[in-house]
Amino acid sequence: MERTSSVVNINVLFFAKSRELAKTSRAEFTVEPVVKAGSLLIQLIESFNLKTISDNLIIAHNENYIENLEAEIYLCKGDEIAVIPPISGG
Amino acid sequence: MDHIKLIRNKIDINHIHQLIIDQSCGACSVFVGTTRDHFEGKKVISLEYEAYESMALKEMGKICSELRIRWPTLKHIAIYHRLGSVPVAEESVVIAVSAPHRPAALESVSFAVDKLKSSVPIWKKEIYENDQIGEWKANMECPWPQFTETSSNAFEYSLCKIERQVENISESKLVQIRVSDIELTRRIKCFLKRKRDEINLHNIIDFKQQLRDSPRAESMLPKDSCARTQSILVKQQQSISHIKVHRAFEDRRQTRPDYSSQLNKLMATKHKHCELVKSNVLKNARLQNIEEYMRITPDDEDNIYNRIKNIENRILILESTSPEYKYYIKLGKESNNINKKESKKGLYQSDRLSEFISGIKRQYEL
Repeated sequence: MERTSSVVNINVLFFAKSRELAKTSRAEFTVEPVVKAGSLLIQLIESFNLKTISDNLIIAHNENYIENLEAEIYLCKGDEIAVIPPISGG
Repeated sequence: MDHIKLIRNKIDINHIHQLIIDQSCGACSVFVGTTRDHFEGKKVISLEYEAYESMALKEMGKICSELRIRWPTLKHIAIYHRLGSVPVAEESVVIAVSAPHRPAALESVSFAVDKLKSSVPIWKKEIYENDQIGEWKANMECPWPQFTETSSNAFEYSLCKIERQVENISESKLVQIRVSDIELTRRIKCFLKRKRDEINLHNIIDFKQQLRDSPRAESMLPKDSCARTQSILVKQQQSISHIKVHRAFEDRRQTRPDYSSQLNKLMATKHKHCELVKSNVLKNARLQNIEEYMRITPDDEDNIYNRIKNIENRILILESTSPEYKYYIKLGKESNNINKKESKKGLYQSDRLSEFISGIKRQYEL
């Protein structure tokens, strides 16, 4: 993977409780292009006031759950990261 | 065909039914999830659903593919989920399938509901009567950690109803705890765990005291007991059990249910019941019972290892034959005393069968 710059801009989506806490459903975020899922999640929690539910969140990268927080994510410009609180459909 | 939709209007169940029925299918299974009007005694006045729509559709599609792998006979699948505000008692989700036969239809729908609850990014907020802010719910099926900060998930109030409010608690007994909810939950969990441990410990101590009560009991137990009987039931104050017994002393000599006489009955054989071992040798009563049951005569009473080894050997032999071993083994000696009654029962043993056959042969030869 080519790295033209040291950071990329991604879109972050918030839902349910995380949307209420972040006070937005969508935000732009700048992050290094290769990042551990756990580290990205921590950065998002810090930046978007999500501390109260920090233990309950997972993220999805381009509509796929990232189940392993140790996994490295390769991000491109415009990628979509969703902050996903515990789901309650049905 | 797969029909997947997120919709903001009332779900038309008839329409979905029309989508999935097929001439080749003898079964249509339809699950309809509706919204409840209460939660922990609070009245729910409305519900709000939101979804990560593109991903939710994708996940619902994955469910369809998985269903088709697991139940290849499925014809049509429909998964509809409602979004936005949903009044109480209206449909929030409908999952319907058609299949040639009933098992596939029923099982796959159940599977799909579980799967939907654990993987499709949809969220529900309940708005309560006296609390307009509402609460985001979490499915039990949700695989990642759920909220612990809300009272609902931290403690099952419904299990411990407060029936009587204690009044006039002196202020000095109350302590104010200022910690985060997560910390509070952790402390409650720790408390519960400690109480559980205390109860367990208490049980063990009871058990041991029991042995001390009777001086003879002490002597008849090996140091590291593997006792499984002497139980004690202590009725606790809050208990509403009707059992009045507080202590149950089980006779150590009859630890095993009387399979033997039962088996004798079934096999229609009169077999002397194992006589209980005399009290002075109670130390090895269980071992002796086993030996007697297995028909081993110990040659060296004191060498416990030898005796165990003999039992093991016997079990190995028995395992390679049949469960009715002891009747076969016995038969050689006792076949003469077989009384007439047995034959009426219609039970045949290999020895007697061969005897019977050779009898017929002899008749023919004559």
